[in-house]
Parts: sequence; structure tokens; C-alpha cells
Amino acid sequence: MFQAPLEKYPVNIREVILGLGEKAKKIGGENTFPLHFFEGFLPNPPGLGLEVLDMQPENWPTWALDPFEDVVSDPVGWAKKGVEEYGAEILCLRLLSTDPMGMDVAPEEAAKTVRKVVDSLNIPLIVLGTGAEDKDSKVLTEVARECSGKNLLLGPALKGNYQEIAKAALEHGHAIVAQASMDANLTKELNIALCKFFPPERIVVDPTSSALGYGMEYTFSIIESIKQFGLVDKDNMMQMPIFADIGIECWRTKEAKESKDQGVLWEATTGMTFLLAGANLVVLRHPEALRLIKNMISN
Amino acid sequence: MILIGEDLNIMSNAISQAIKERNAQPIRECVEGQTGNGVDYLDLNVGPQKKDPAPTIEWLVNTVQGFTDLPLCLDTTNVVAMEAGLKLCKKKALINSASGARESMETVMPLSKKYSSGLVLSVINDAGLPSDADERAASILESLEYANELGIENEDIWIDPVLMPVGVDQRQILSYMEFIQMIPDLAPGAKSVCGLSNLSYSAPKGLRGLLNRTFLVIITRYGQDAAIVSGFDEELIRLNRGEMPEIVDLIHRAMDEEDMDISTLSTKEQEYVKTTQVLMGKTLYSNSWLEV
Repeated sequence: MFQAPLEKYPVNIREVILGLGEKAKKIGGENTFPLHFFEGFLPNPPGLGLEVLDMQPENWPTWALDPFEDVVSDPVGWAKKGVEEYGAEILCLRLLSTDPMGMDVAPEEAAKTVRKVVDSLNIPLIVLGTGAEDKDSKVLTEVARECSGKNLLLGPALKGNYQEIAKAALEHGHAIVAQASMDANLTKELNIALCKFFPPERIVVDPTSSALGYGMEYTFSIIESIKQFGLVDKDNMMQMPIFADIGIECWRTKEAKESKDQGVLWEATTGMTFLLAGANLVVLRHPEALRLIKNMISN
Repeated sequence: MILIGEDLNIMSNAISQAIKERNAQPIRECVEGQTGNGVDYLDLNVGPQKKDPAPTIEWLVNTVQGFTDLPLCLDTTNVVAMEAGLKLCKKKALINSASGARESMETVMPLSKKYSSGLVLSVINDAGLPSDADERAASILESLEYANELGIENEDIWIDPVLMPVGVDQRQILSYMEFIQMIPDLAPGAKSVCGLSNLSYSAPKGLRGLLNRTFLVIITRYGQDAAIVSGFDEELIRLNRGEMPEIVDLIHRAMDEEDMDISTLSTKEQEYVKTTQVLMGKTLYSNSWLEV
């Protein structure tokens, strides 16, 4: 009888640990592609995070903000609600207030906010800057110090600031998100540069995300190809778990701004698609999108 | 392999200024530097020459021919400039370039017949750059048929498969290699030519030569006939002349995926091996490919 040949890959995606203690989450660790249970081993379900902002956001459709209406200017309350009411097992604190083109809050102040959130939680926390290289390196260095030993996932570390961020993360025991935009070659280049002094098992890569209808297939291809380079070509600089931060992109689409249902479905569809491509960690904005994805996975 | 020196290029500030001032001295240095190193043709790239196209190329062709007897490869997208230059060439020149795009077939190709010049013919057509070897073949067959009907023999055609930068899409490099091996069957008598330096576009400046040289050895093995190269890369010219047989042999072994203990090799040898592995698609390219 015909038996379909099975592919075996002799390598693993690295396992990265987020957070501390009982509620710590492992991501990655697989030696095959998503859902290929018949071929290999996927020890860890994908990490699903919920976004928290450190200030009241502008330009969000009301239905994106409704679930957190009563806690929007209180990151600790927002985080607590995310966990207790909406069942988040990972949170992602975006330090929007530090944007140098916006409120430009000082690194020390932002770090204190992060500390308060960390102290109020016992689940893993991702902390993201705004992508402004100079400011982020100051902010994330300060956050790393203030939350020393908490094993946060800090990012994005970019070509222009990875040295400062990774140095602080190394010294204070955190993991980092290495971000190179939509390019496998640049992803590899940044990983090579980082791994000269930073442990590869504490790196998560972010190829940057686009929403459904706005270039999602590019993100899909790049996630897929990073994973293929890692598993099929056994390229050990491409074996880091993959991060997709999709809330920003999904909730600025015309469709998400038109109606709540569209927004939630837009985000859930985009997130689910990236999980199928091979993403190991997805951060969502709307609790209902999180619930939809969780249901799809558990069913 | 036939080497066409690319350094007389209006993109270079020194050359651009010399042309503007009609100053022959920098041109002379550029010509003699390349001919001294041993290139076979000189490419004269004058760009699009939008205003007043003829005088610039006329001056340049005459000036260059005062310093060398080598044949010239005229490189402009301006048909008027191309024709003005061709009229003055003493040796059989090369037109760089025509493509399968309708406008190019109708305006550039006839010049090859009229002036009995060689014709660089790229695989680009009105649909853009073909994405794989088979599409390249389909495109070039169509353009060749048109050229042959105009009375241009395959012997005068230099096929340019269009080499893309390794940092853009490594798979394109593999389909390039596949395609040049198809050329003798597709177009018996025609030559293959490429702009070699395009391979390393966007790579770190100090490492571009290494990519270009390694690729020259690889495509020589696959039957490439000619390449447009830097006439100042002495190591490349020595490799091409067969003066570095041990490096050529090492690249061939790396192409064949022969087991080798890379740690026993010299730094330079290791660099050639790692570069070969990248260009053969064995390892994913990154700008720091030598550091792993």
C-alpha cells in the first residue's frame, strides 16, 4: 500500500522561555511545520498575547477600546482586566507614551510604569517601545534595569539599536525581539550580529506584520521562509521562534474602523493565518479576537 | 571568458566631470588602467543622455579610441546617442543593450544590422523580467526570432539573462545558472553576457569583489562566454586568466559539495568556499555571510 513519504528535520526551532515561575510560557521548540503532527514534534502551543497600552490611545475605533473603557489610562488596571476578565496568559505592554513624536515620556518614568505592571502580574510580559531607535534604546535599557531578573521579552531590537538593548537584556536577564522588516536576509544578518554576544535561545524574531488585505501574504511568505531556512536548510541563525504583533496593523484598516465584527474577524483571521505560516507568538488587541483564536486552536 | 571593462561610467563622479569638461586625462587613466589589467572590451556607459545626445558619445568614442585599439561596448538607452557612437567605432562594436520590449526591438535592434555590430540582448520583455529559467527561454526565443528576421545572426547576439543581486533573491541566482546552460541549445552560436557587478549590489563595499569573483568562476564552469566587470579588479582578471588554479579548483569542489574541513583552509580560501555556498543556494545570504 502506498505510504506518503514523511519529511524529518534533524533540527529544532529554539525554545524560548517567557516570564518566570509556574506561569512562564515556552514558545518554539518544534522540529516541523505548524500542524505537521504526523511528521514531527510541536511541544509548545503558540503563545497568544493581549496588548496593553501605557496611555489612552488615540484613533482607535470605540469598539477596540470598549473592552477596556474603564481602565484606559491605568496600565495596571488594563493588565489586570486582560488577565482576569479576558483570560490572557501573556501580556504585551506597548510604551506608546515614550514616542518622541508624541508625549515623549522619559525612560525612567516609563520604566516605573513597567515595574508596576510587572509587580501586579504573575504571567509573562512583552514590553515594546515605539520603534524610534534612539529613544527605544534608552527606554528599554532602563526597563531592563528596573525589572532586572524578571525575564521580560523586550523589543524591538533593530539594526541601529540592538547593541544597547541586547547588552541591557543580557545583563538583567531578559529575552529580546529582533526585528528586521520583511526580509529573511536582514533577519539573518541581525541574528548573526546579536549572537556574537547574546544567547540565541533568548531571541525571538519579528519580520513585521501586515494585516489581511494590506500585504498579509508578504508576512505569511516571510514567516514561512524563515521557518523553512531554519528547519529544511538547518540554518542555525534562522531557528528562532517568530513573533507577530498584529493589533496595530489590523485596527487601522478601513474595515476594522467600519464595524466591530469586521475588526474582530480581521484581527482573528490575520492572527490565525500567521499561526498557520509558523508564527510562535502572536499579540492581539481585541479580547474577542483572542477568544476566537483560542477556540479555533482548542477545537 | 571575454571581459568587458565597466569603469568608464557616467555614474562615476570623476568620469562624469571629465566628460562634462571634455577633459581627456581622467578618461585616459581609466582606459589605460583597464587595458593594462587585460580586459577585452571597454564599456562606455553614458547613461540616458536626454539632452543633446550625440556630441557627448562622439567625443568619448573618439577620445577613448585615441588611447586604445580595443573594441567598444556602447552603453546607453538613447538610440540617437547609440547610433552616433556606432558610426565612429573603428572596430566591430557591441550594442548594450536591446531587449524583447517592443520599443527596443523596433529601435535598437536594427542598429545592429545597419552597423554590423554585436548586440547585447536581454531577456527582459514588455512583461518585465522573467521569473525563472523557462520563462527566460521563452522570452529570448521570441526576441531571437525577431532579430534573425531582421538579418542579425546568432553569432552577433550576446544574450543577457539579467543577473539580480544576491541580497534581493537568491533563487534568481540559481535560475540564472540553469538558464546559461540552456543557451547553447536555445541559440546555437550566440554568446552569453552579464553585468557581473549587479550580483553584489547592496552588499558591503569591501566584499563586493569577492562575490563577483566567485560567481565569475562558477558561471565560467557553466559555460558563460562574457561578463561586464570592473577592469580594476586585478584578482578577478587573474582568476579569469587561469593564474589562480588552486582557487578555481577550490570553488569547483565547493560547488560539488565535496566534504572539506574548512578549518584547515586559509582565510582567503575559507571566504571563497563560504561565498560559493551562498551563491549555490546552500546557505541563506546575509551581509555578514563570512562571519558564520
